[in-house]
Amino acid sequence: MFSMFRNLVGSKTLTPEDLKPVLDKMKDHLIAKNVAADIAVKLCESVSAKLEGKILGTFGSIASTVKTTLTEACVQILSPRRRVDILRDAMDARQNKRPYVITFCGVNGVGKSTNLAKVCFWLVENGLSVLIAACDTFRSGAVEQLRTHVRKLNALHPPSRHQGREMVQLYERGYGKDSAGIAMEAIASARDYRIDVVLVDTAGRMQDNEPLMRALTKLVKVNQPDLVLFVGEALVGNEAVDQLTKFNRALADFSQQQPPRLIDGIILTKFDTIDDKVGAAVSMTYTTGQPIVFVGTGQTYSDLRNLNARAVVASLLRA
Amino acid sequence: MVLADLGRKITSALKSLSNATIINEEVLNGMLKEICAALLEADVNIRLVKQLRENVRSVIDFDEMAGGLNKRRMIQSAVFKELVKLIDPGVKAWQPSKGRNNVIMFVGLQGSGKTTTCTKLAYYYQRKGWKTCLICADTFRAGAFDQLKQNATKARIPFYGSYTEIDPVVIAQEGVEKFKAENFEIIIVDTSGRHKQQDSLFEEMLQVEQATKPDNIIFVMDATIGQACEVQAKAFKDKVDVASVIITKLDGHAKGGGALSAVAATRSPVIFIGTGEHTDDFEPFKVQPFVSKLLGMGDIEGLIDK
Ligand SMILES: Nc1nc2c(ncn2[C@@H]2O[C@H](COP(=O)(O)OP(=O)(O)OP(=O)(O)O)[C@@H](O)[C@H]2O)c(=O)[nH]1
Ligand SMILES: Nc1nc2c(ncn2[C@@H]2O[C@H](COP(=O)(O)OP(=O)(O)OP(=O)(O)O)[C@@H](O)[C@H]2O)c(=O)[nH]1
Ligand SMILES: [Mg+2]
Ligand SMILES: [Mg+2]
Repeated sequence: MFSMFRNLVGSKTLTPEDLKPVLDKMKDHLIAKNVAADIAVKLCESVSAKLEGKILGTFGSIASTVKTTLTEACVQILSPRRRVDILRDAMDARQNKRPYVITFCGVNGVGKSTNLAKVCFWLVENGLSVLIAACDTFRSGAVEQLRTHVRKLNALHPPSRHQGREMVQLYERGYGKDSAGIAMEAIASARDYRIDVVLVDTAGRMQDNEPLMRALTKLVKVNQPDLVLFVGEALVGNEAVDQLTKFNRALADFSQQQPPRLIDGIILTKFDTIDDKVGAAVSMTYTTGQPIVFVGTGQTYSDLRNLNARAVVASLLRA
Repeated sequence: MVLADLGRKITSALKSLSNATIINEEVLNGMLKEICAALLEADVNIRLVKQLRENVRSVIDFDEMAGGLNKRRMIQSAVFKELVKLIDPGVKAWQPSKGRNNVIMFVGLQGSGKTTTCTKLAYYYQRKGWKTCLICADTFRAGAFDQLKQNATKARIPFYGSYTEIDPVVIAQEGVEKFKAENFEIIIVDTSGRHKQQDSLFEEMLQVEQATKPDNIIFVMDATIGQACEVQAKAFKDKVDVASVIITKLDGHAKGGGALSAVAATRSPVIFIGTGEHTDDFEPFKVQPFVSKLLGMGDIEGLIDK
C-alpha cells in the first residue's frame, strides 16, 4: 500500500492538501481490514498531523516515514498500558486464602463460555483449581455446555495427577435464577473449599438491552470480581466500538458506585476466522485503552494466545 | 435493516441536491461521499460501496443532461437502484410446499445463531399449521444437543439427536429418514458452526448435504459482522448450495450492513430476520415490498418508519 505515497516525492514541504488523497486511500485500506470507520479516520488524522510540515526527500524516506508513523501509532494502540498478570494475582489471592474471581461478559454468541473453558484449562495447567459458576441461567443448554467442559477438562487433568484433587468443578443452580446470587454463592463455596479461581460465565446480552445490562452491573457490583473480561469476536465490524462503550457506560451508570467497576481487559475471539482482517483488534483497544488479555484462535482448549501486537500491525498494513 | 436505518442519512444527502442551485460534479461527489460514509459505518462491504459509487458516477453525464430537475431525478434513481442491488439478488426466494417433505439445512459461522434460529423457523411454520421437526447434527459444540432439545421441548416441536453418536452425517441421515417416514413437512437440520479456514469441517458440511439432500440450505449470518462476511459467505456458497440467508441479532444496535454482503456473495435473498433471543423474535423478510418501499422515493418518510 505504500506505493501510493510515491507521487508525493519532491522537495517541498508537505501540506494537508498533499496528504489528503493519499490518506483517503489509507483510510479505505484500514476499513477494508475491518477497522471501524471513525477509528480509521482518526488514525489517518494522527498520521497526517505527524507528517504535515515535513520536507520530502527521496521515495525511500517518505515511504519509511509514513510506514513508521502508522506502524508506531497502531503498535501503541495495541500495546497494553497496564499488564494483567492473572497467574501472579491468583497466586496472591491464594496466599490470602480467598478465591480469585474472573467474570466473562459480552454480546450473544461471541465465545464467552468456550473461552472461559480455555482459560480454565490454562489455569489448571498452571496448577490452579477452578470453580466455574454457571451464571447464564437463560440460554438453553448453557448449563449443560459448561458441564460438558468440566467433564472433559477433568478427563484431561484427572485427580490422579493432582494429589487426588478434582481440579475443575461446576457451581450451577439451573435456569431462571438470579445470576448475581449464584455468583455470590459460588464465590463463597470456593472460599470454603479453598478453590483457587472462580470463573463466572454470564449470558450474552445486547449492549442496548437495559434490563440485561442492569443485571450484569448488579452481578459485578455485588461480587466485585478481581477481573472483568469483555469477550468480543474478531469478526465484529463497527459495532466493536459501540459494544465496548456501552458495556462500560452501563457498568458505570447503573452501579452508582465511585469509582465504578469497569472492564479490565478484552478477550478477542475467533481470530482464526478473519485471515488478515485484523481491524477489530485496533477498534477495541482504541476504544477502551484496555489490553487484549487473550486471543482465541480456535475451538479447542489450547487455542488461546497472547496478542502479538507487531504481527497484528503487519497484517493490518499488508496490501 | 441497514437500508431502512440509512433512510434519514440518504434523505439528508439527497436534500443537498435539492438545496444546491446548480447540480454539478462537486455536488454529486459530496452527496456520494455522505452516502458511502454512512454505508461504511453500517459495515457494508467496502468493495460493494466503491462499486456503488462508481456505478452512480458512470450513469450521470453532466454534459448530456438537461435541466436541474431532470438531473436530480436521474441521480436519485441511480442511487436507489444501486442501494436496491445490495439487498435484492434478483432471484425468487425458495418456498416450502405443503403436503410433502421439505428438508432445510442450516449452515453458518460459529455462534451466528443457527440453533436458536432453527427453532424459530420450525415454530413459525408450526404455528401456520405445518408439521415440523428438528434434527441436531451438531456433535461438536458442548451442550449443542441439550440446547436444541430444550428449545424444541419448550416450543413443543419433535426433535432428533444423539448423545453418543459422534458422526453428524449419520445423525442427519437417520433423522431425515425417520421424519420423512413419519410424513413431516418441514424437516430442519441444525449443523455445527464452522468457517472457511477449517477444511475438514467444510468437507463434513458437504457430506451432510449429500446425505440429506436438502431442498433449501440457509446461511445464517450475524448482524454485527464486519468486513470478513463476504469471503466467508462466498466460501459457504462455493461448498454447498446455499439458497437463502437469515440475518440474526437485528434487535441490537447493529444495522446489518456487513451481513448484507452475504446476499451478494451467495446470490441468495434474505428470507427472515432474527430480532431477539426468544422463539417468536422472528420476522419474515420480503425483498420485494422492502424494495418497492425504497423505490417509492417520495415515500422516503415511510422508509424511515419501518
Ligand atoms: N473458530 C473459533 N470459534 C470459536 C472461538 N471461540 C468460540 N468459538 C465458537 O463460537 C461458538 C459460540 O461460543 P460460545 O462460547 O457458546 O459463545 P457465548 O458467547 O458463550 O454464547 P452465548 O452464551 O450464547 O451468548 C461456539 O461454536 C464456539 O466453539 C474461537 O476462538 N475460534
Ligand atoms: N439478541 C439476539 N440474540 C440472538 C438472536 N439469535 C440468536 N441469538 C443468540 O446468539 C447466541 C448464539 O446462538 P446459537 O443459536 O447458539 O448460535 P449457533 O450458530 O447455533 O452457534 P454454534 O452452534 O456454536 O455455531 C445465543 O445466545 C442466542 O440466544 C437474535 O436474533 N437476537
Ligand atoms: Mg455462553
Ligand atoms: Mg448451534
